[in-house]
Amino acid sequence: MEQKLIRVENLEKLYQDNGVPVRALHDISLSIGQGEFSAIAGPSGSGKTTLLNLIGALDKPTNGAIFFEGEDLSSKTKKELSSLRLHRLGFVFQAYNLIPVLSALENVEFAMMLLGIPDRERNRRAMATMEELGIAELAHKRPNQMSGGQQQRAAVARAIVTNPSVVLADEPTANLDSVTAHGLIELMERMNKEKNITFIFSSHDQQVLEHARRILVLKDGTLVDEINK
Amino acid sequence: MRLTTVAWRNVWRNKRRSIVILVSIMVGVIATVLMDTLSRGMIFQILDNQIRSHVSHLQIHRKGFRDNPVIQATIPDADRVEDALKNVRGIASSTPRVLTYGLISSATNSSGIFLLGVDHDREKNVTTINKSLLAGEYLSGKPNEAVIGEALAEKLGVGLGDRIVAMASAVDGHVGSDVFRIVGLFETFSSEFDKSTIYIPLASAQSMLTIGDRVSEFALIMSDLERLPAIQKSLKEQLGDGYEVFTYGEILPLLLAQIDMYDQSMFIFYGIIGIALIFGIINTMLMSVFERIHEFGVLKAIGMPDSRLLMMVLLEALHLGIIGTALGFAIGYALYLPLSHTGLDLRMFSDGLRSFGVGAIIYPVLTWGSVVNALFIIPFVSVIGALYPAMRAARLTPVSAIRHV
Amino acid sequence: MNLLLKLGWRNIWRNKRRSIITISAVTFAVMLSIAMRGIQLGTYEVNIRHVVELFSGYLQIQTEGYQKNPSLQKSFSVTDSLRTLLESDSRIVAYTSRVVGDGLVSFRDNSQGAFILGIEPDNERRVSKLATRVASGHFLDAGDLDQIVVGYKLLENLKATLGDEVVVLAQGFDGSLGNLKFTIAGTIKTGTDALDRNAVFMTLDAAQELLVLYGRVNLVAIRLNDLPDIPDVQEPLRGRLESKKLAVLAWNEVMPDLEQGIKLDNISGILMLGILIIVVAFGITNTVLMSVTERFREFGIVLSIGMPQRRLALLVITETLIIVLIGLLAGNILAYAINSYIVSHPIEFTGEYAEMYAEYGFLPRIESTVRLSSFFNTTLSMLAISILAAVYPILKVLKLEPLKGIRHT
Repeated sequence: MEQKLIRVENLEKLYQDNGVPVRALHDISLSIGQGEFSAIAGPSGSGKTTLLNLIGALDKPTNGAIFFEGEDLSSKTKKELSSLRLHRLGFVFQAYNLIPVLSALENVEFAMMLLGIPDRERNRRAMATMEELGIAELAHKRPNQMSGGQQQRAAVARAIVTNPSVVLADEPTANLDSVTAHGLIELMERMNKEKNITFIFSSHDQQVLEHARRILVLKDGTLVDEINK
Repeated sequence: MRLTTVAWRNVWRNKRRSIVILVSIMVGVIATVLMDTLSRGMIFQILDNQIRSHVSHLQIHRKGFRDNPVIQATIPDADRVEDALKNVRGIASSTPRVLTYGLISSATNSSGIFLLGVDHDREKNVTTINKSLLAGEYLSGKPNEAVIGEALAEKLGVGLGDRIVAMASAVDGHVGSDVFRIVGLFETFSSEFDKSTIYIPLASAQSMLTIGDRVSEFALIMSDLERLPAIQKSLKEQLGDGYEVFTYGEILPLLLAQIDMYDQSMFIFYGIIGIALIFGIINTMLMSVFERIHEFGVLKAIGMPDSRLLMMVLLEALHLGIIGTALGFAIGYALYLPLSHTGLDLRMFSDGLRSFGVGAIIYPVLTWGSVVNALFIIPFVSVIGALYPAMRAARLTPVSAIRHV
Repeated sequence: MNLLLKLGWRNIWRNKRRSIITISAVTFAVMLSIAMRGIQLGTYEVNIRHVVELFSGYLQIQTEGYQKNPSLQKSFSVTDSLRTLLESDSRIVAYTSRVVGDGLVSFRDNSQGAFILGIEPDNERRVSKLATRVASGHFLDAGDLDQIVVGYKLLENLKATLGDEVVVLAQGFDGSLGNLKFTIAGTIKTGTDALDRNAVFMTLDAAQELLVLYGRVNLVAIRLNDLPDIPDVQEPLRGRLESKKLAVLAWNEVMPDLEQGIKLDNISGILMLGILIIVVAFGITNTVLMSVTERFREFGIVLSIGMPQRRLALLVITETLIIVLIGLLAGNILAYAINSYIVSHPIEFTGEYAEMYAEYGFLPRIESTVRLSSFFNTTLSMLAISILAAVYPILKVLKLEPLKGIRHT
């Protein structure tokens, strides 16, 4: 059997909410392969964000294991996880993705700067990606000068410019109107097909979920259904 | 619900920020209180040492003696003075003295000195010389005994039991001299005094200088210092024109001026610290106001007058100022108390200190002036610092404020 | 690294008002500290130089043990070899011999204590500024064997006038009492009470006769070009003179009281400024803290995408340093302006305070200095304390979990 990109086994996540223990995830097992364009669906409170955070090495499970490219994440230190995120992952959040004092271009370059990629190459790659995403003309604009949709596109550009294995997007379209949302998801789909970058996103919007080739349905912290197209 | 209560609660909305400001105020207050009490203590000690070792509270002479202390200017009628002293309440003790400049010599050296002929019995109730002996004994009343400073003895190369010759201009102009035996060596807080003073019996001084039974000066110690001005006035009236009556303040005007100047400079220092704190207070209040623009908009919309909003913000700053100062002062005071008993040991500056006239151990002194300075300047400064942010808050228009995110 | 600086710089100006207020606080503290230190150090220097050039000399040669216990027994001869030695060091501008003793001076019925000082008028003029302080009459010239110059207060207290004849009485080296008659040729006003009240200056020869010294002297006062020369000249000279039982003392060994008084004042000055800087440091802590907590969400996101925590902390340190450095620069420039102004226009004061200063031997003036140390030390302290001040907020950054940051409101 080929090595799956991401493998999750018996995942459980408990946390304290004002002294009351809450079980966000219970006994989740799944795997995700390279090149997938998959979604995690479910109502709010179902644990979508928690699952994405765990897969994205942003959090540690209470029980169970997560394997990324064959490596057990539970054995890694915070520094190693941070490095993993930098080199192998990309993130698009619901809002506030960009650093307000940097231009769109500088924001896209940011992760490359952290990787130590030299000036000129950073610039070249960033501009190229922004052109592919149709936001090249926003290069020198600050986030507060861009619309919500434009900001999200810039976030996608930043996420993919480092050639990650996986891009995780938590409700990337939640703050956008339906037309812009549609455009964003299509963009992500195109990137997935052209560059073979795996996308895992969460949403509760049916229209958005339509685009996914695989949907994992969560309810109250457990995996209740899986839809493959 | 009062405005102050609301203000108080607002202060604690951002605990961390308020605590940092509080601590900065506390540190400023504690440090200044300690510096103030120690420096003031030092100056007071200098003054006190001078008073107790020689100057006393009041001095009576023949008019003109202070400007020109010649032996001829003796007190016109000593008995009259003694009578006057009996008629005044509040004098704890008094002593007559003969004083003049002279020269003393040993076999090997000589030195210019300040010759003091004293009534040994009464002198010890007025000054602390008898308690300052390092070796030997105080004057016993026997003729031709002498007590000199240890530093002077060293310079002259003499010790207990040795003889020295004292010389001074007598009343008729010829140089009177006599031989004295050293019975005691003293050390006071002032190295100057130790090097330049000799105590001999009053009678010996009178005979050496041929002034009969006249004296140069009466030195007085009060039992109640508050009555000093009244006592001075009363004595001047009783004694009339031929006499001068000086308080220690008039004899040591420079020291008093120094205390004054010190007060002023301490006030300035508090002010500087206050200004340094203002910057922090302005920033803190600005932040706290800007965080609440939306809320202020709502308050105004429901009808809160601008002036009350202004007052509320000022009260918040005042709370910070008062608490910080109170806590700072409490801690400062707690540190001051043990120090006021044990004193601060500044031994490494002992030579310099002794030339100023104070010992190596400094006891801090807390005066009402210090307390007022400490307790009022900082809260005042806090309110000043909050003025600009408070005015910004008051000038918001409700609609734009509510829209503020 | 470059991006870190760019990012840090822009972050500071996100909240212009707050940053400017913080920078102003730093500027205020730095400017005040440097100005006050400059004034303190400048005033000390001027006072030391004043005292040294007025009378004591930069260095003094004395018999060993004289400083502690001055007496006529501890006197020495100024031999030719000593002269040659002194003249061989080009840094020694001039030197003069002095005799010091105690006595009485009487005029008619009046006696006053006398601080007898035998000097060589010509040499003395090259070493000290006494001759310039003549208040009335004239200073001594070589050969004025029977003339004296007294402190102006002494003249008043003796109730004498210029030209009057007085008797000076003193105990000589051999223990005998001697007296000599002198005419008062002039008075001096030095500002030092001890001298003004009791000094009696006479020629060296006259003093040696009065005190029966047979040509010996108590000390040789030496003039140098400037204070920094002192250690360079003192060391070798001391070595050469040790065998002759002669000591070489610098001004601070001759007047330890003055040095300690200065040290005490110095320390209290430093303490006060330290308090000032610490208070401002708290302001820095608060500012950095506020700017950090405001950005928790942004920090959370940036950590999520993989920025190393240390790098983020470095960013905050950079921001703090930029603020402090701007304040330091402005403070230094303003302080320099203040100090140089005072250097060229010293502030004199009069009245009570002037008298008080004179009593303790200080000049009634406010002086300053633009010597590097006053700038350097304050700047370094401010920098160090500011970095300490930022520690608490930076710890918060280092401990921030990306998710906690993102969820922060």
